[in-house]
Amino acid sequence: MLIGAVVLFPAVELVRASLSRYSITGLYQGAVGGRNYARLLQQDALGPVALNTLTWVGAVVGLTLVISLALAQFLDLEFPGRRLVRWALIVPWAASLIMTSKLFVWIYDYYFGLLNRALVALHVVRGPIDWLGDDRTVMGAMIGVGVFVSLPFTTYVLLAGLQSIPGEVYEAARVDGASGWRTYWAVTLPLLRPALVVAAVLNLIYVFNSFPIVWTLNDRNPGFGHDTLITYMYKIAFKSALRDVGLAAALGVVNVLLTLAAVLVYLNTVRWRESFEA
Amino acid sequence: MIQNNQPPDVLNLNAFASYAKDNLLYAAEDVLSPKTKDDFLEAFARGGEYRGKLHGFPILSSARAFFYNTDLFARARITAPPKTWDDFVRDAQKITKLGGGAIGYALPLGPEEAQAEWSIWMWNNGGDWKSGDRWAINSDKNVQTLGFLADLANKHKVTQVNPGKTNRTDGAFQLFKDGKVGMVIGFSPLAKQLDAEGKVKYAVGAMPANAGAAVTLGVEDYLMAFKKKGNQEAVKKFLDLYYQPENITRWITAEGFLPVAKSGLTQMSSDAKLKPYLDLLPNARLAPTTDPAWDKVKLDVQQSLGLAVQPGGNPKAVLDKLQQNATAESGR
Repeated sequence: MLIGAVVLFPAVELVRASLSRYSITGLYQGAVGGRNYARLLQQDALGPVALNTLTWVGAVVGLTLVISLALAQFLDLEFPGRRLVRWALIVPWAASLIMTSKLFVWIYDYYFGLLNRALVALHVVRGPIDWLGDDRTVMGAMIGVGVFVSLPFTTYVLLAGLQSIPGEVYEAARVDGASGWRTYWAVTLPLLRPALVVAAVLNLIYVFNSFPIVWTLNDRNPGFGHDTLITYMYKIAFKSALRDVGLAAALGVVNVLLTLAAVLVYLNTVRWRESFEA
Repeated sequence: MIQNNQPPDVLNLNAFASYAKDNLLYAAEDVLSPKTKDDFLEAFARGGEYRGKLHGFPILSSARAFFYNTDLFARARITAPPKTWDDFVRDAQKITKLGGGAIGYALPLGPEEAQAEWSIWMWNNGGDWKSGDRWAINSDKNVQTLGFLADLANKHKVTQVNPGKTNRTDGAFQLFKDGKVGMVIGFSPLAKQLDAEGKVKYAVGAMPANAGAAVTLGVEDYLMAFKKKGNQEAVKKFLDLYYQPENITRWITAEGFLPVAKSGLTQMSSDAKLKPYLDLLPNARLAPTTDPAWDKVKLDVQQSLGLAVQPGGNPKAVLDKLQQNATAESGR
């Protein structure tokens, strides 16, 4: 029952909407078969937006995993104040994404932003940079925030993974005379694989579906030059001359299938069964 | 709600024509008493018509006005606000030359409200959205106007950075409130904030014009009543109560907006703070909100106009594309 109401019903409605035509007021105007899907492929913005999505997901997930690995390793060490640092790391996770994004809008701001003030004071740049207005820096600025908010969750998943590695294997490695790096490559990483796979898959889904960051940081830019498939979907439905719920629903269906496909391809490449049975 | 076949009885929105086109709304004679209908200011009543009948009932209005920072004007030795576009460019240059981050004019052409900023500049050059009942977005006058705005940014360099990517509320207004900006197009809520903060000395006047008398943009919000079985009497009673002059005026005053009815204009004219806007109101022009295609044209303008004033942008190409889309949408 619950699955039917929460998962199946919206999915069926989404597919049905994607096969229909609606007026701008939302009035149903009949079924159109696959025409919305065909029209979707004709949109000039689709190519660049898909490329943006690839950059966004790839960079955020990749950077997040690498940084989180280091952070988790650090938090696994015994040091005074470790509890405090662990708590501090949760903060970006606990804060609402819209609030965090809005905060970063002001940090990045050309006239009032802290980032420019700091960089100019440190003589890193000569004058301020319009991080969210300059086409060359918008995506990077968004990726920075994406990584920032993804770190806590990922780090904790990896930390849990690290702590589940029994101490004996390290002892054995030491007895065999393995160096620190060699132990890491040959013992820690392989044993961490299940945690890494879980972190990667969940991040893949979260980051792909992330709306607030891209929406908030990109809201002053006209057009679709820095949108991902998710914000583009919203603009098709409500914020562009298309103003077309049916077309947006078609993109919604495509988005779900893409996420599913990406996850399957990923799991297939890392051969997840083995990593869990190992 | 429409999509789920559960329309509201009444709705307050800044657009109505698409709903009227889909035949979802009551016309005025079905649900408004003649007294209420006749009290509406002529321009706003006309702004609510679809196919000659009033469907979008005016509920509140606002008018844009030209704001200037009197401290910066004094420092730049400018004695009066600019009347022509040539004056305007000269004054903006004088303010920018003050240095220290001073900005001559804050130009917001980002997606939030590009159509409003654009309307005002377009009209003050003698252009318009339409010519007769055909779209005229890419007329020679309009291409010239958008070129002028692009020049402000890229040639004269008297605007803030990236005006095509600046919104009104958190961009242009924020800079003006911070005392960095010489001139900006604002409205009464901005005045309210400036007065509350008390940081910036400013005055309000008419737009500089390049053709004919100065024009400003009026914006009206609508109340509309949805046709539903058995709700006509109740809706009628509600609207009668709502449009009692003392009720609606109290509400409009509390929200800091401007009246839509003759009785309201009389009631509110004693407020000195509102005088500059009330003076502009009878001459304010409205965007073509009575055309159902406008609801999409507006969004198109918001998503593309800013691209024309970026370095290397092409005003004519942007306007041509807008014209093409608008014409296709209207089917004429």
